[in-house]
Amino acid sequence: MAELAPPMVWAYRGLFVLLAALVLFLRLLPLGNLAGDWPGPNILLCLAFAWVLRRPDYVPALLIALIFLLEDMLVMRPPGLWTAIVVVATEFLRSRAALARSVPFMVEWLMVAGVMAATVIGYRLAVTIAMLPQVSLAQSLLQLAITILCYPVVVLVSQLAFGVRKPATGEVDAYGRRI
Amino acid sequence: MARDRSSPEDFTRPVRRILVGLLVLVLLALFLLWRIDSPRVERFRAALVDRVVPSFSWAMLPITKAAAMIDDFQSYARIYEQNQELRRELQQMKAWREAALQLEQKNARLLDLNQVRLDPRLTHVTGVVLADSGSPFRQSVLLNVGARDGIRDGWATMDGIGLVGRISGVGQTTSRVILLTDSNSRIPVTVQPSGQKALLSGDNTSAPPLEFLEKQDLVRPGDRVVSSGDGGVFPAGLLVGQVAQGVDGRLRVRLAADYERLEFLRVLRSHESERIGEPGALIPPPAAPMIGPEPAEALTEDSAADG
Repeated sequence: MAELAPPMVWAYRGLFVLLAALVLFLRLLPLGNLAGDWPGPNILLCLAFAWVLRRPDYVPALLIALIFLLEDMLVMRPPGLWTAIVVVATEFLRSRAALARSVPFMVEWLMVAGVMAATVIGYRLAVTIAMLPQVSLAQSLLQLAITILCYPVVVLVSQLAFGVRKPATGEVDAYGRRI
Repeated sequence: MARDRSSPEDFTRPVRRILVGLLVLVLLALFLLWRIDSPRVERFRAALVDRVVPSFSWAMLPITKAAAMIDDFQSYARIYEQNQELRRELQQMKAWREAALQLEQKNARLLDLNQVRLDPRLTHVTGVVLADSGSPFRQSVLLNVGARDGIRDGWATMDGIGLVGRISGVGQTTSRVILLTDSNSRIPVTVQPSGQKALLSGDNTSAPPLEFLEKQDLVRPGDRVVSSGDGGVFPAGLLVGQVAQGVDGRLRVRLAADYERLEFLRVLRSHESERIGEPGALIPPPAAPMIGPEPAEALTEDSAADG
């Protein structure tokens, strides 16, 4: 499947990597988020979900795994766990991408919010089971809420600035196949 | 959504599902490996950070500087108030300076009386803060000094005034400092006038609480908190901050280090303290000196006479 992908798709995959690098880079800037500040939104998660619902072929599972693993490594999370949860979540959304094309945005947003909540709860559960130190519940719920609120913004920017939109019915790719 | 069966995706789908399952399994295995044998994975992580973050630094510097400039400009805008404020502070400082000078003289006299020798081996390496760890739940920074400069895990880090954190994770050219505010940070401290020992445990707030205080009544807000050196990891006597009472009534520590501006940090070279492993043994009297020439010497004299 991958070797058949037209150059346009590869360009978008590159763009996704670039955007992810930008988000990570902004996170790493030594501008200092003080302890106890409001946690920022998890833009990378929004980006992955928005793109996987619009054009699943732009964000293959391996790419998502690599990028989130790098994030895990750089921001000192337990490596692999969050990545695995995100891969499962994006696979869930990927199998419903066709469904998401036919529903209004509000419904899609609700679905994404549900999946995000499930990822956070799953992560907290796994961390509890592994008996690792836990972030306070209030803070992670706050971050979840902010992330969910950020999702429409990420979708809007993806559509307007990068042209990642849901394919219209009957649209074909460069090889003339139905998308 | 009717898909035509000729699409190649329909045939690769089960294979794909297995591959994704394998991917998830590999990731979970990595997590388990980290949980079981975290030093090895952490070493890999340090190497990765070592590789990735410095390659960002060319772009980080201008943005950080620009943000600092905006900050400075904002303070420039209210320069008059600031001037007044500074004058007031200067007045207070003069009073403090006087007090400090007197205290210094007194301290010098007392040290002289006691003939205390401060640890002469406590030297430091200064590093520049490269990057924040980024996540709101992890309070740590990266320094641009690493194993190449002789940095080792566990060393204490200070800014000009107070303790900032400890080294945790050393790469070839970078090292990570876990700040005192991080939820993984536990530092043994002494509260100064009363000498109470406690544990300063970070909890992701800007003022970490004091735990395991023996007598809370002896500790008052405003008391000085210094590191106690228990456990032999940290040098003793480094300034940590002041005791303050939080709104919830818990005793917290207002940190002396300026966490808003962590630019240059000093990493203190601490040397492992000698351990006393055994209980006291019997001390024998020194061996009695032998009387007469040693047998070896006698032998050489004999051979010299022969020759």
